[in-house]
Amino acid sequence: MSIFAVDKVCRRVVIDPGFVAALREDADAALRAARPPLSERERVLLLAGDVGTLGRMGANFFLLHQLGRLELFGLTLSLYAQRIRAEYAAERAQWAAEQEGG
Amino acid sequence: MAELVGALGIPHNPFTALAIARGEQAAAESRRLYGELASALQQMRADTLVVFTTDHYNLFFELSVPIFAIGVAAASSGPSDYPMLPQFEVAIDGELAAEIQCSVVAEGFDLGRSQEFALDHTILAPLGVIAPQMEVAIVPVWISTSMRPVPSAARCHALGAAFGRAIAASALERRVAVAGSGAFSFEVGGPRMSEESHVGVPAPDWATRVSELLAVGDVAQLVAEATPEQLAAAGNASGELLNWIAMLGSFEARPASFVATQRAEGHAYAAWQLG
Repeated sequence: MSIFAVDKVCRRVVIDPGFVAALREDADAALRAARPPLSERERVLLLAGDVGTLGRMGANFFLLHQLGRLELFGLTLSLYAQRIRAEYAAERAQWAAEQEGG
Repeated sequence: MAELVGALGIPHNPFTALAIARGEQAAAESRRLYGELASALQQMRADTLVVFTTDHYNLFFELSVPIFAIGVAAASSGPSDYPMLPQFEVAIDGELAAEIQCSVVAEGFDLGRSQEFALDHTILAPLGVIAPQMEVAIVPVWISTSMRPVPSAARCHALGAAFGRAIAASALERRVAVAGSGAFSFEVGGPRMSEESHVGVPAPDWATRVSELLAVGDVAQLVAEATPEQLAAAGNASGELLNWIAMLGSFEARPASFVATQRAEGHAYAAWQLG
């Protein structure tokens, strides 16, 4: 279980400008060099900006949204939010129904 | 002898603090409410402010996360995570912090010690608004309220009570205030975000309910209702209520001297004059 490696990437983008620069220059290489190592699937999902799936896999949302804030992997905060909403559309509908039902 | 002279409940949205720093009209209500807390803190004439807060993955990240920890140092700075906010050098009351740690550990609480730390927005964003001269020394106390498992409301309340006894037993000449930092309902980046933003307030009714209980001083009922299920439904930052509950544990329950809710923000501003 290495989702911690994804969380650590999200943490580093906040505190490590050199890492951010490396991601902007060659994201794939920077992710391959990250430690602890990302799984192949995690690396592919990060490169695709697939935050919905990463969230579903257990990534920490507090940290994950930093990818949108830093506009990495093609994300913006708006696109980040859009993808999370899409991934969790069923749950969101259920929560809304529960609230309406009191 | 140290004396507990007052308590504050403070929201810490960094973007609100930023809007206030920039003089934005949209932050007028928050500026007024923070002003109420500033007046309350001035009235307390506190030498030291003990702040129960949540590390937003800035200090401990996910590497070695204590359930409870206290900062014992001479000074610190920040906010470390929002460089666009006004930055401050602040005094830490390490002497009192060390005494408190010894006292509450002796009572059976596993309160870790951090001796070198930056402070993040959860303390210095609101303090930068209500005490920009930083004339009060700080004792930071971190409760792990975001990363599961979180401590129970009853345990946090008991921790606060141990803090109250430690302060009362201290021979240090101090006027001490305590604060709880955070929101009652808030989601950051997670599935319960709003339709308009990457954050949201999933349970505004819960925020109102918490404020009602604060207003009448029914802390026992608040502790009973702050179940893990309730906190989870209120958003991934709603565990910050536990910081308030620890603050409330440090003195005998009573109605707040001042409380104002921002329902749409999922939080409140509150003060208790104790001295």
